[in-house]
Amino acid sequence: MRRTILTHVAAAILAVGAAQAQDFPSGSVDYIIPFGPGGESDITARLQQPYFQDLYGEQLVVSYQPGGGGAVGWAQLNGMAEDGTVIMGINLPHIIVKPKQGNVGFETEDLAAVYWFHYTPDAILVRADSEIETLDQLIEQAKANPRQVIFSGSGKGSANHLAQLQFDEMADIETTYVAFDGTGSAVTALLGGQVTAEWGYTTVGSGQGDEVRMLAVAMEERHPAFPDVPTFKELGYDLVSGAYRGIAVPEGASEDVKRQVSDAIAAINADPKFQQKMIDGGFAMSDVPYGEEMDAFMAEKAEEYLPAAREAGIIE
Amino acid sequence: MLDFMANAISPFNLLLALLGVAAGTIIGSIPGLTATMAVAVLVPLTFTMSPDSALILMGAIYTGAIYGGAYAAILLNTPGTPSAIATTFDGYPMAKRGDGDLAVTIACLSSVIGGLVGALALLFLAPPLARAALAFGPVEYFWLAVFGLSLIAALSTGDFLKGLIGACFGLLISTIGVSETSAEVRFTFGSRVLLGGVETVSALIGLYCIPVLIDLVATPDRHLDEAGGGLRGFRLREAARAMLQNGVNVLRSSVIGTMVGALPGAGGSIAGLVAYSEARRNGRGAERYGEGNPGGIVATESANNATVGGGFIPTLVLGIPGTPPDAVILGALLVQGVRTGPTLFQGSADIVYTFIFGLLLATVLMLPVGLLIGRFAYGAILKAPKAALVPVVAFMTVIGTFAIRNNVSDIYVMIVLGVIGWLAAKRGFGASPIVLGLILGSIAEQGFVQSWTIGSAIGNLWGQFFGRPISLVIIALTILSFLYPFWPQIRRIAGRGDDATPAEAVDRPRAGARMVGWDLLSLAAFGAVAGLVLVQSATLNAEAAVFPRTIATVMAVVVAASVAKLLLTRHVTGEPVRGSLVRSAAVPVAMLLAVAAIPLVGFAVAAALLGLLLIVPAQHESFSRRGSAILAGSVLAVILGAVVLFDSGLNVPLP
Repeated sequence: MRRTILTHVAAAILAVGAAQAQDFPSGSVDYIIPFGPGGESDITARLQQPYFQDLYGEQLVVSYQPGGGGAVGWAQLNGMAEDGTVIMGINLPHIIVKPKQGNVGFETEDLAAVYWFHYTPDAILVRADSEIETLDQLIEQAKANPRQVIFSGSGKGSANHLAQLQFDEMADIETTYVAFDGTGSAVTALLGGQVTAEWGYTTVGSGQGDEVRMLAVAMEERHPAFPDVPTFKELGYDLVSGAYRGIAVPEGASEDVKRQVSDAIAAINADPKFQQKMIDGGFAMSDVPYGEEMDAFMAEKAEEYLPAAREAGIIE
Repeated sequence: MLDFMANAISPFNLLLALLGVAAGTIIGSIPGLTATMAVAVLVPLTFTMSPDSALILMGAIYTGAIYGGAYAAILLNTPGTPSAIATTFDGYPMAKRGDGDLAVTIACLSSVIGGLVGALALLFLAPPLARAALAFGPVEYFWLAVFGLSLIAALSTGDFLKGLIGACFGLLISTIGVSETSAEVRFTFGSRVLLGGVETVSALIGLYCIPVLIDLVATPDRHLDEAGGGLRGFRLREAARAMLQNGVNVLRSSVIGTMVGALPGAGGSIAGLVAYSEARRNGRGAERYGEGNPGGIVATESANNATVGGGFIPTLVLGIPGTPPDAVILGALLVQGVRTGPTLFQGSADIVYTFIFGLLLATVLMLPVGLLIGRFAYGAILKAPKAALVPVVAFMTVIGTFAIRNNVSDIYVMIVLGVIGWLAAKRGFGASPIVLGLILGSIAEQGFVQSWTIGSAIGNLWGQFFGRPISLVIIALTILSFLYPFWPQIRRIAGRGDDATPAEAVDRPRAGARMVGWDLLSLAAFGAVAGLVLVQSATLNAEAAVFPRTIATVMAVVVAASVAKLLLTRHVTGEPVRGSLVRSAAVPVAMLLAVAAIPLVGFAVAAALLGLLLIVPAQHESFSRRGSAILAGSVLAVILGAVVLFDSGLNVPLP
């Protein structure tokens, strides 16, 4: 008799625990991208979509709230539903650099980042027919002709731009950076011969195939899709950087919700098929979950971005 | 090749193309629902399809949406998509005088021809055209934007200086928000609403549609003239005759559309404007361009549909989206594991060719589908009583503006711009120069700043701006297009053409002190805007300040010249204010009230309230009690039906 009561109690406790764990998702989840459709944030969200549905049997509905380079969406996030039915894409270095550039309606600390799930590593690319074959040759040319080596890149104060600033300092060169309004137009300028090279991403390398040559990628290890392209580290420059993409929830959400969303994104990231699709697209996986790891990661990135941005006069 | 053709016309793909064109046409006809959005909504649907079917569906929706934009442009003077801006110039005057049905049919025929030319270019000329597009650098984009701006000379025939001021105003509006080229926050005055800048499509809706609504309620006159006694079928014969007269025009415009479409980042709105500008300069016909010449519709509609095929050229060949909807399609394909770009034609040629044939097929299907839907749209707008038309259209502007980027503050901006547009039009500042400035502003600024950076780096600024062959061609065309509207005056000054009577200059009436006062006031307002920008620019960094400061300086000079001219000639342009001011004011006031109510009562209730409120000022006839109930009931039904459709069909997160 006693045993049955105990089992009942145990079963009840388990059931409560299970019910709590199943609180997320309570229905379909709105996934807001603070940019227009068609960009990397959108594409990777679309890649996550089917896996989320497989895992939870609920819809992940992608919608867009573009404006101000993401600022319009981020400034509104904390006014949205806090029960885990709304999540929003976040980006680095944007959410660290932007608030320092002026009143953009939010501060970095206002955003409850719960996961960084991938990044597009910075890379230097030249046209396939360029005479520049290696990073050393590029540096040589830049030393011989100060400011005349011209890079295209996506955005000002962006990952591409900060990488250019950091690398100029490391290699002791002076180059020119021309900001374009996205990766697409920066690549167009490269292919059209308007610039010497591009500060782009590994995704450009997989998109353009034989049309371009990647000189180096800013990763810890070589990118699985490009085993022949060296990292900056191998070549003696301690540059590991890129545009990180992650997920945030409204600040007021409970600890449970934050952890559950973090776990859900982690579960998608753990799927080998998802990983393969991301890698084929030129993306690189990243796993920074909610909690202490997140805090440490954000602190480290702020340390990295802000001095570079300050030096370049992008922020005061 | 035959295999691919057979594959494209499999029953399933045929059905997809048909559904896609129909859905796209309807979505495109609603201002605010753009082709980009129509395609984006479909993305999840395509996950379950094979890549070629997905591509055909998205291509069909896209091409349908670009055509659908013409309906609202012709019937409501409001481009349904930005690519239909130039369709309003002649389409609306035609509809006004009772030829709306003819205009819609001409738009359909032109769209089909343009679409076919674009798709055939994609089939046969894609690789060389993609290479050619790469020759366009930042400088060329800058000059292309300037070429687009040269149209203001033609669009402001009443008073060129006022057109220039309007264009400067539009250019300045385009710089509000976080700058693309310098990442600085500009001209937001600390407001969050302006942080994301003024959204182009919502500005278009405000500047074009709100003034139409205000004027509509002011008088009991019919919205469109009903010449010829109501519905007269498709008027295909007349339309075909107009097409034949415009044979050169339709080909030239289709080629322009294909080439501009192939330039990544230019898009349908610029293609339409460039084609219109060229058609106008070479124009023949009974009516003048801008006053209802079918050639204007032919040019714009063939050009913007040609950008569909043209835009796919860099998308498929280079992996670089030619137009915004292409970016979405590219992403959807990537999710499916199909990578466009250099490897696509080698690796997945079958997908590419099936898609191109699918696009051709969808374009052909657009003929019957477009004619039918167009006839329905014309009938609905023509027959609807004002008291139903005004609330429904006003509601559409609100929900459409919201849907662009799911932002309530955009609706406020839209309404305020609408009132500014109405006031400005009454003082002779047309909406079109402002819109031109607004849509071309960011392309011009980015091209300018990028060229400046590159030119400074290589130490040859002059050569960068004036030393490149393609730039020189565009500059020459710009000068031609700029001077063309002044050709009679130039001839007179040159001493030739004695027959040209300078009637305009001599017979211009000298306005009374009151009118001159109003004009001075409006000029002072624009002068104040220029002054404000100049003051604010002082706090920005050099890259962020150079463009707005230059424009504001030009604007200040033109305002001064305009004031001097006004005081010397006392010649005043503008439209008279007609009808009831109270009714007119009721439109924006009711709209603002309804938007303010959204956070309190939710979108659906606020929209219903807006509909019911607007029936009152729009009603000029007296209805029986039963008639009023039917009217209110049908307005409510349309509004709530649309709310449900947006919410669950289009996934718009309505508050």
